[in-house]
Amino acid sequence: MNSGPGDSAEMIARDATYHRASEDLRKRVGAALAREAGESRKPFLWHLFGTALACAAVAVLTWSLALTMLLPGGDERIAQEIVTAHVRSLMAPNHLADVVSTDQHTVKPWFTGKLDFAPPVADYAASGFTLTGGRLDYVDGRAAAAITYRHRLHVVNVFVWPATGEADRAPHTHARQGYSLVGWTRGGLRFCAVGDVAAADLGVLADLLRDKT
Amino acid sequence: MTRLARFQRSVLPHLDAAYNLARWLTRNDHDAEDVVQEAFVRALRYFDSLRQDDSRAWLLAIVRNTCFTWLEKNRPADMVAIEDEGLISADAESLGHAAPGESNPEVIVLQSAQKKLVNQALEELPVAYREVLVMRELEDLSYKEIAQAAGVPIGTVMSRLARGRELLRRTIEVRMRKAS
Repeated sequence: MNSGPGDSAEMIARDATYHRASEDLRKRVGAALAREAGESRKPFLWHLFGTALACAAVAVLTWSLALTMLLPGGDERIAQEIVTAHVRSLMAPNHLADVVSTDQHTVKPWFTGKLDFAPPVADYAASGFTLTGGRLDYVDGRAAAAITYRHRLHVVNVFVWPATGEADRAPHTHARQGYSLVGWTRGGLRFCAVGDVAAADLGVLADLLRDKT
Repeated sequence: MTRLARFQRSVLPHLDAAYNLARWLTRNDHDAEDVVQEAFVRALRYFDSLRQDDSRAWLLAIVRNTCFTWLEKNRPADMVAIEDEGLISADAESLGHAAPGESNPEVIVLQSAQKKLVNQALEELPVAYREVLVMRELEDLSYKEIAQAAGVPIGTVMSRLARGRELLRRTIEVRMRKAS
């Protein structure tokens, strides 16, 4: 057989099995999607309910008081802080990381003694997120860990800081000034990944980190 | 139309493609089904990030990443690093010897045997080559779409495709020589 590489491409297209989903899988996926859609609907309704309550309260108060109440709330303010910190980290080459390493066993111990919590640090180069280092940052009035990753040519910052008394929260996405953000809360820590990459890609990193904690 | 209904209309039709890719990457029906289910839940979660472009390439990128996360956790041995710049002759040798497979000369000539041979050879390829070949030859994705899904530059996609095809050809050759 003296076929060139072109032939083996043709061979795959012709001879390799195209595996099709079973009816059973179709049902499973449908059910899982309905479950997921149902789960996300509830918090959304609660969110609406909360917003309605807040609006009602605002209406009762004076205009000046209403103005102060309309200032960005917790999540919005933190998202803004994180985008600002992310942009600042990109402004000069050595703003990004205080400890530069692709080795989690170098980056993780670096935080010890600098923070009163232990952020999860791991390299996910195989999934497209290469660990590049870490630094200290400041989010929500607290010292936070910023762990940096490279995703293709993009820099991703993952901010981690303690969530005092907050319940776990599933990943939720924001977009701001062209950056994607994915935030979640797990095991007493708040996380927020930010970068100029697709939210779905950040979601992959979020899921990897969530598996770790 | 609700978000779920929009998702069902634009993404769910690509279930076969999702399963095909997951099945080739995990090499197992049961695992592929688990991965596909997880990938769809993830896709729905990040549905808002899908812009007007191709929902199939978008979904396959999520399936690919879900597969790799799963492989990393459950079958780290599958995640062999490949040398994108290195020579491949050594790989080809070891692949040819990796699995004895069927070596009955009579079945080789049958068309079903040819299919089996190609399937086995493709399954044996390192996952980094297998994924680009499946995305290109079976799913017909563009180089750019594959590069985005696999998180590597387009040049790497092209060289992996070329090397993957060459490895596949050599593996099949070795098998056929043994059979005859």
